[in-house]
Amino acid sequence: MHLSAETYSVQQAFSRYCRTGKKGNLSGVQTDRMAWYREMVFNIFADALETAFPIAFANLPQGKWDSMTKEFCSQHACQSYQLWKMPLEFYTYAVENSWDEKHHIPYLNDLLSFEWAELELYNMEDLAVPAFKLQGNWLQESILLNPEYRLLAFKYPVHKETNRRKILQQAGAWFVLLYRMPETGLVQFIELSPWLAFVMEQLYAGITLSDILAYAPDLNITVTDTLASETVLFLQEMQTRQLVLGFQP
Amino acid sequence: MVGIGFRREFAQELIAGELIHPDFIEFAPENWMHIGGHWKKLLHQAVERYPVLCHGLSLSIGSPEPLDQEFLRYVKSFLEEYQIQLYSEHISYSKCDNAHMYDLLPVPFRMDAVRHISERIQQVQDYMQRPLVMEIVSYYTPVAAEMSESDFISEIVRQSGCQLLLDVNNIYVNAFNHQYDAKEFIAQLPLDKVGYIHMAGHEKVTPDLIIDTHADAIIDPVYDLFEGTIQRLKPVPVLLERDYNFPQLPELQGELNRLKAICNKHWSRNHALVSGNI
Ligand SMILES: [Fe+2]
Repeated sequence: MHLSAETYSVQQAFSRYCRTGKKGNLSGVQTDRMAWYREMVFNIFADALETAFPIAFANLPQGKWDSMTKEFCSQHACQSYQLWKMPLEFYTYAVENSWDEKHHIPYLNDLLSFEWAELELYNMEDLAVPAFKLQGNWLQESILLNPEYRLLAFKYPVHKETNRRKILQQAGAWFVLLYRMPETGLVQFIELSPWLAFVMEQLYAGITLSDILAYAPDLNITVTDTLASETVLFLQEMQTRQLVLGFQP
Repeated sequence: MVGIGFRREFAQELIAGELIHPDFIEFAPENWMHIGGHWKKLLHQAVERYPVLCHGLSLSIGSPEPLDQEFLRYVKSFLEEYQIQLYSEHISYSKCDNAHMYDLLPVPFRMDAVRHISERIQQVQDYMQRPLVMEIVSYYTPVAAEMSESDFISEIVRQSGCQLLLDVNNIYVNAFNHQYDAKEFIAQLPLDKVGYIHMAGHEKVTPDLIIDTHADAIIDPVYDLFEGTIQRLKPVPVLLERDYNFPQLPELQGELNRLKAICNKHWSRNHALVSGNI
């Protein structure tokens, strides 16, 4: 490599200052001007994170949000060369560093995961849609689904509450399915009961509805005609909303 | 050819081409790679309507650490997929300690950095099978410099064989911030290697500091510097950069028109002389 060890360390010191604010051993710079770089780098991070996590930004205490973004910017080495993917690293960093406990926001991971899923689905590359027929037997045939989806399980209802007290009161088992509409590219989400979340997960794995129903007693769910018909009704409704495509031809 | 940066904020209007109709558009591959859904549809419409030049953000040619091969592979395939005619980047670094910072940091003006950057430009050019057009960035402080900025740039161009992206606003901003003469600086550059020009607005944040914000209209002194400069250049594409604080689109079209009028004034004559039509 042509770069001298000294130039290397100068560049390192400059970039470390931009991320952490620690000056290190740097000469030959205008200190007051250097501060602008730090501010600009931080603003890029802050803007991208506010845009990616608008609910978290609007509802978490400002001081906590600021300390999270500052810690992330200074401590985490971002790997994504695309800025729009950087917020995934923020979410991962939050989980790895137990920010939910550290900042006393028990629902933080759920909220970041929900907002990231929305953004990721909106932006992500198109997935091939399998050939399908519109009519078929809901119980016996393979049901084909919109491939652009995320099925998330939460402890807190972050998809419908923003008030801290209300969120905490409703701790439980929540399931949300997000998917991208084929024509508009808009992301929709639906809240699912534990049973329907299980059904969707199994359908995505290629299991037929009758086989899923056969498994229901193992989940302590009694299979009745109503359960089967209500499940089919749900899937029919989802077909009109472009989550269910149809049936294997 | 006078173009404008393709921004999501006015993508629909650009595609419609009524309020604003540049000769070409420019975007960063990093903002459009691995994208699907709504934005991919718009990207396709834009690419069908306009010639496209690409201006990268994350190459980080001045990084002390090795080039990201996976990144290069994706950029190459993206440029090929969309038949991009020109790929430009910045003489700066945005990644260090294996961390992306998503901003353009100034490289020390030093001979070892020249050799380092030149070798990397050559690696990228060899891999991409196309010349790189490298932009002289705006910077707010020199960093442990051992040579002049113009020598630094000229040496990189000489050693790497790259072309230059002359951002006239950057030169104006740098000249103001570092108290040198912009025209003299430009005169010292290898102007025969200029392959692309950027123009933009900026903001004076303190009496002695201008920040290159791309959030305002181009100011008259930058137009003047542009007009003086292009008389010394062969015709190249000119881009209006506007990234924030968007005005009504006819205002942007007005800036495009003004740039185009200046180009036509000086370049059509050059063209005619070269082709011997007069
Ligand atoms: Fe530029």
